[in-house]
Formats: sequence, structure tokens, C-alpha cells
Amino acid sequence: MSTEQCMRLILGPQSPAHNIDAAMMAAGLPEGTFATITAGWQEAENDIDTLREIVGRPLVDLRLYARADDVFRTDEALAAAHRERQNRLKEQQRLYRLRLKQLAVAARHTLRADGDAAMVAAEKRHAIAQLRALDRHHLHRTESIGRPFGEQFNVTSSPLLARHHEEIREVINGCSVVLISGGNVAVLLNRLRLFGVDSLLANRHVVAWSAGAMVLAERVVLFHDRSPQGRRDAEIFGTGCGLVSGHVYFPDASHRLQERDRSRIELLCRRFAPDTCVALDNGAALEVRNSRVATAVSVRRLSRDGRIVRLRAA
Amino acid sequence: MNPALRKLFRKNTPDAAQLDAFIHETGFPLVDGSDVTFVYRGQAEEVFLRCWIAGLDTAQPFQPLSGTDLWAATIELPKGSRIEYKFEVINNGNRQLILDPLNEVVARDPFGANSVCQADGYERPEWTYPNDECRRGAIETVNVGSAAFNEARDVQVYLPARFRRNRQYPLLLVHDGVDYVNFASLQTVLDNLIHALEIPQMIVALTQSPDRLKEYAGDERHAKFLAEDLLPFMSERYPLIDEARARGIMGASFGGVASLHAAWRFPGVFGNLLLQSGSFAFSDLGRHQRGPVFDPVVRFMNEFREQPGCPAENIYLSCGIYESLIYENRSLVPRLQAQGLNVRFEEARDAHNWENWRDRLRSGLSWLYPGPLWFVYE
Repeated sequence: MSTEQCMRLILGPQSPAHNIDAAMMAAGLPEGTFATITAGWQEAENDIDTLREIVGRPLVDLRLYARADDVFRTDEALAAAHRERQNRLKEQQRLYRLRLKQLAVAARHTLRADGDAAMVAAEKRHAIAQLRALDRHHLHRTESIGRPFGEQFNVTSSPLLARHHEEIREVINGCSVVLISGGNVAVLLNRLRLFGVDSLLANRHVVAWSAGAMVLAERVVLFHDRSPQGRRDAEIFGTGCGLVSGHVYFPDASHRLQERDRSRIELLCRRFAPDTCVALDNGAALEVRNSRVATAVSVRRLSRDGRIVRLRAA
Repeated sequence: MNPALRKLFRKNTPDAAQLDAFIHETGFPLVDGSDVTFVYRGQAEEVFLRCWIAGLDTAQPFQPLSGTDLWAATIELPKGSRIEYKFEVINNGNRQLILDPLNEVVARDPFGANSVCQADGYERPEWTYPNDECRRGAIETVNVGSAAFNEARDVQVYLPARFRRNRQYPLLLVHDGVDYVNFASLQTVLDNLIHALEIPQMIVALTQSPDRLKEYAGDERHAKFLAEDLLPFMSERYPLIDEARARGIMGASFGGVASLHAAWRFPGVFGNLLLQSGSFAFSDLGRHQRGPVFDPVVRFMNEFREQPGCPAENIYLSCGIYESLIYENRSLVPRLQAQGLNVRFEEARDAHNWENWRDRLRSGLSWLYPGPLWFVYE
């Protein structure tokens, strides 16, 4: 099956109500066994009985989280290098956050500024351009920091990773569809990369929700306006698998975003343009085929006027 | 007069049956906006409200309500306040401190218990209650040899649910840790905040001093115990993240002093301090007025204020507005900020007690140790 023929079915959170079954039926996904990736659930990985009941198909979990634990236990050098890379990535994220904080505050103030329209517009553009430049720089840095590990330990250089990769490939080849659950997006992305799974998904139908949806995009953006310490500025976390282009996903946006703060929504929209910021709430279903939105049910997008509006299929 | 009492006395002096019904049907103390009326029923020569609020007389007299055995005292308590109190009842010249017999809400502390007045707008935070959906962490006791004290000491260690040896965890050292568990619901709060992803899974060492007023008052031995005995022990025994920013110390009252002192004596070792109602007494001129037990505290604080250095990168402070220590705590904030440290200070309409410290745990812990909520999209 070519990449163009593959469907990406993107969903919002599957609680309190699930819509994966209805969305799959509407999309006409093929019969057969489905592979699941639930590494985002971490210790609860492979706890898929409920999912199996909902989906009504045979499921086999790829157990990426458990496989990674096995690899870290078995290969000390790999584990040490992985930890070192993660520490450096954390440090990079911290430094990025330091700079982001100031730029984002300045941009928000500028977006709310009054005065001569032309002059304010020019400052707005520049404030957003500064943020976008910082985001690009951060993406570049995270790629640079991650590269040495990826070059030293990958599915061709490490027999251990190669064995797991081969096992995973066989399972995926025997399945008609791959499901990717939500959970911890950092853990999920990390495990997908470690075993080179992202490259195995290109020619597969993929159904993904929440964190699973986020990793399919080209960029992964972290956000939460209602954490115990109050809202934080959205952060680029890194590149995603790039299986869907032109979108950045914001799962559970109605809870996690302060929708009434229009300058904040406007800033998000303009900061990540030309990608569309897609809000995926409970009940949302977005079918993407050949990089085009085929259908969109209860899906919204962030707009330049600071509202979150309905996303329409192309 | 409180509206409920006014209604009771509107026609005639109520008889015993009417009083019984009133007591049975009414919740006490009586809260009417910012006025709170405490009611005592019984024979007495005098009754006082004892509530230890800085700015108010310690003893507020009750007034007898004519023709009955009811007594009442009204104080003003701003919205959101929470105070602890007792009644002092004088009979035949004997003074007796008792809990409010008409109020079931009680806070316990190492000295016993107090009645609790929850003013309009105060609500006990949901995350301080046990939650059946949360997996519970475990507490185990370890025995730590201490060169500083030349003896071994028991320390209780909280391990989060799903603790795994192949992971690495942040560490928090807690002064009066057992008291925090018993009187400030620390274990429940940790379980709940970890479950809600608001703080990471973490290991918490709960220390308890046999002589806290001495050892917590800027005592060199105690600082060494934390940095040179307990920390190496914990690092050896548990999988900890080996970075200052993943290590912290917490304490209330004298425990706050001990936390600050240890971090100041060993700069760069602890990245986080959580200081609640710290007894940060100091003197600008002349002798302090807080009694001899504060002498070493004042010596340390005066020295600290001269040369604060960088005890920790992140410092969270909280203090009750109704404590005398609010002045010292407020004074400390700009001094710390001037050192370029990340400082967060919160005031609460509460006093020097364990439930005040409990209610601030979420903001302090989640600020110092942000959890994976940011990364989890279910």
C-alpha cells in the first residue's frame, strides 16, 4: 500500500466518551488484526482489554515501553548514552523555556497593543517572527542533540535494537491497521524513535488519539493553560513522525486551553502557521488521506482572530 | 448580634427546649459574612475565645445571653480565613481550655487538637482527602548512621506507587516529616498530586528530630546530618536523580529555619526549598523579643541576611497572615530575590498550624517539582 493510499484517522481523547469505534466504521477501515502502540501509558502499557472490546477486532500490542526497558537493562552503554541524551534534551528545553517566557510575554502584550494600526501591525509581525525564530532554533538544537545517539544506536548498528525492530516489523506487517493511544507524548515519541517504528508506519493505516495524534504531526507542541501553577506558554517539544503534514494537534483543547483569551489563541495560530492548529476534543474525528482532510467531525481549528472555529474538510 | 441568635431571642427569652432545638439545628460557629460568632452553652463565671491570631487579643471575652446559659463572642474574619481555637471556661476560679463542644471540625497537632473555624469562602482542598482512585505510595523505615550526631536515627521514606528501581527519582527531605504525615496529610497529598500528574513520582525522606528546637535552630550538626549523612545514605540506597535541581528540603516553623540553614551551609547541594511559616526571627537593632530558644535562630538569620549567598535556585515560601512571623517572612522575600533566586511567596488567611501548611502543599510542591501533566495527553 502506498503512502498516498494510507489513511490517518486522528481522534480526540477517548474519555469520557469514546468514538474510535464509530470513527473507524465511518472511515471503512479494513478487517483483520490491529497492532496497538500504547507506550504512552507507560507501566499500564498493553492494558488493552477495554480497547479490544470497543474496537471489536483482534489486537496485538507492540510493547514498545517494555521493549525499551529490556534494552536499557541489557545494553548498559546504550542506556547510559540514552540517559545522557535525555538529560541534554531536558536542559535544552529548560533553556528554551527561559527565552520563550520573555518573548511570549512581549508578543502577547504586542498583540493587545493599541495605537497606530500600521505601526502596531508591524510590531506584531516582528514579535511573532521572533517567537517563530526561537522555535526554529529550538527544533534545530533538539535535532542536533539527539543526532549522535541516533547515529550510534539505531536499528542497523545495534543487534539488540535490530532484533526488536524486526519483531515489530513482522507484527505490523501482519496487521491491517496500527492504533496509537494517548498518554505521555514524550515517552511515546521516544519509544517510537528508539525502535525505528515511525518508518514502519508510513505505508500503514494509522488511527491515533491525543498524544498519539500529536506524534503523527511534523511538530509536537506541549501546552496547558490550567496547570496548578497557572498557564504556561506552549512549547515546541520536537519534531514528530511527520506522517501528517500541515497540522499541529491540540488534544483536549477545551479543557487545556483558555479559549476566551483571544490574544493567546491568535498567538498560537500565528506562531505555528502555516500549519493549522487543530483542536481535538472528546468526540473529534479527522480523516486525512493523501495529506488532505477527507472528513472532519467535531474538529475545530485555532483562527487568526483568536477564536476556535469549526474545521471543514477540503 | 448574629442573625440566628437575634431570631432566637426575637420574641421571648428562649426556654431550654428552644435552646436545645437551636443547638441541634444550627452549625457552629455562626458565620455571617465576615462576622463569626462563637457560642458556648453551659454554666460558667467567664468564657474566653483563645485563637492566637496576630493582631487580635489572645483572649476574646464571651458575653452571656440574658436569661439563658448561652454565651457568645463575635470576631471579624475576612473571607477565606481559617483559624484554630479553643474555649477557656472559668468555673469556681478554675480555668479550663476545651474544644468547642458545638463544633465537630477539629485539627490535630503534636500537642493535641484545636477546634477549627472555617470562615466564609474557605473550603478544604479536595486534593487533601484520600482518593480511592489513587494508588498509594508506601512508607518504609530506614536507620541512618549519623557522624554529625554520633548516633543512628530512624528516617521514614515515602516511595511512590509503582516505584521501580530502574528509574531515577527526585528527592525531598522533610523536617518533622512524621508530623507532616500525621497532621498535614502529607502522604495523601503526595499520592493525590502524583496521581494527578501535578508532581513527579518522587522519594521523600521524613525526618523527625528528638530535639527540634535545638537542632533546627541553625545547628551545624543538623546541616551536616542532612548533607553528609542522610543525603549520601539516600543516594546509595535509592535510585535518585543526581542533580541539585532534583533535590530539595522542606520544613515548617523551626523546620523552615533548619531547611534554609542546611541549604545555606551546603550551597549547590539542594536546588529547591519549601519553607512554610519559617521562624525567621532576626534583629536589626538591640535584642529580639522572642525568648532564648530563638537566640541561635536570630544569630543565624542575622548572618544569613548579611550574606545570603545562593542557598537554592528555587525557593517557595508560605506564611499565614494571622501569624506574627508574617513580618519576618515578608522581609525575607526581597532579600532572596535580590540574590537572583527564583522565589515564590504565598500568604494565606490562616495561622501557624499544620492545616495551613497542608493547604499550601500543592502550590509549593508543584512549583518546585512540576509533574508530567505537561506531557500527558490522554
